[in-house]
Amino acid sequence: MRPSSASYSGTIAIERLRKSFGSTEVLREIDLTIAQGSIVCLMGKSGGGKSTLLRCLNLLERPSGGTISIGAHRIFDETDALSKRQVVELRQHVGMIFQSFHLFPHLTAAENVVLAQTVTKRTSPAEALDRAMDLLATVGLTHRAAAYPRQMSGGEQQRTAIARTLAVGPDVLLCDEPTSALDPESTHDVLNVLKKLAHHGMTMLVATHELTFARDVADRIIFMDGGQIVEDGAPEDIIKKPKRQRTREFFEHVQP
Amino acid sequence: MFGVFQVDWPQYIPDIATGIRWTIEFTVISFVLAAIWGLVLALARGSQVAILRWLAYGYTELFKNVPIITEIFVVYYGLGEIGITLGTFSAGVISLVVFYGAYLAEIFRGALQSVPDTQKEASAALGFTWPQIMRHVVLPQAVRVALPGTATMLVDLLKSTSLLITIAAAELMNQAQTIASETFRPMEVYVVIGGIYFLMCFPLSRLTLMIENRLAIGAAFSPARRRMLKAITSRSTRTVVVEAS
Repeated sequence: MRPSSASYSGTIAIERLRKSFGSTEVLREIDLTIAQGSIVCLMGKSGGGKSTLLRCLNLLERPSGGTISIGAHRIFDETDALSKRQVVELRQHVGMIFQSFHLFPHLTAAENVVLAQTVTKRTSPAEALDRAMDLLATVGLTHRAAAYPRQMSGGEQQRTAIARTLAVGPDVLLCDEPTSALDPESTHDVLNVLKKLAHHGMTMLVATHELTFARDVADRIIFMDGGQIVEDGAPEDIIKKPKRQRTREFFEHVQP
Repeated sequence: MFGVFQVDWPQYIPDIATGIRWTIEFTVISFVLAAIWGLVLALARGSQVAILRWLAYGYTELFKNVPIITEIFVVYYGLGEIGITLGTFSAGVISLVVFYGAYLAEIFRGALQSVPDTQKEASAALGFTWPQIMRHVVLPQAVRVALPGTATMLVDLLKSTSLLITIAAAELMNQAQTIASETFRPMEVYVVIGGIYFLMCFPLSRLTLMIENRLAIGAAFSPARRRMLKAITSRSTRTVVVEAS
């Protein structure tokens, strides 16, 4: 399949988004508009719906109701589902980073980044390798290009996973607790990479517990609890003067 | 010559050579077909269509738990009675494929299941289609898991071709029987022929073990991948030198 020229950059508009797993409601009527190119941190305790919200945006989860648009594309509404081809196209434009990296264990770091391109964009291997080496340089891993995932630290694996996702050329990057499985030093390295990527046009949604990152890098913090958005605003406002008791308690716990 | 070896072996070399040739032909053709059939069954067992899952399940359980000799008789004589007459070669191959297909399906199914769903999810999130996920992510990982069991089945299949003696398939054990009846030296003949089976099976086991080990360390099996790994290594180390200087 040829990559579509149709861009998924633009505003992300979510209306009355609902998601239930069986009788458990994980997202309750979420309304949210995210400006193109902005960096949004999703915070709140685990089980609050952050991951599910992110996973609805690339349709790894099928919402139970509501609508989602990304740029000019209506990616979900209740009346009509995207074709398989359209879902694949969406995912090539809306990349995702996972908590546990999920690199391909049978391939070296560079090959992980190469495969993402040769498969999704039909790039020639030589061209894909050029770009892979550039991306690995961006995440500071040139010297680990020939290493297998099992030979790398968690932080190195996560940075490789970021390079792999970027290789596809997404307009939106979803990060699902990218540092929750990492030690402090690796966390620092991964957050530095994300910081470097921020504000270059790509919209980034980062589910995280890293308050310092949220304060320094995000344009906006969204605080979720019980499947709803309970706070939404500029980082300094949310962190310094949260409106709700719930949020205050949370920040007291994560405060270093 | 006296003592243990009294058979005039040089005289039987052409017969033994024929036997070896048939044994190898049965093994190679049956194994390739059984592997394809096994993969089809394994995919059917993971299918979304319930009826396919059940058919594949019923098939594997049936043929896994029936002696192979039964299958040989049914295919050769049984089908003959209902008007389907097969030559010894087709009957032999079909029996082996039916039996080993069931076993290989079990091995392949386990191997496919061993690839975590998160791998499929991660590739789907990159924008891979389902066939691309299978081809580039699931199968390469499943092959590594399936290889030891598959290799055992290959050696087992080679030895099982000896059961085709029951339909006079002219393979090695069949030749042994002829030689034994001509020389009245069954002990000597079956020991020597057993030795030939060993000489065929042992290198096969070693070879597959070697492939397993090379796969485990991530060695390249295609020239394209070898070139890619070489390019990666040279470009990753070259830059380290530059950084260090």
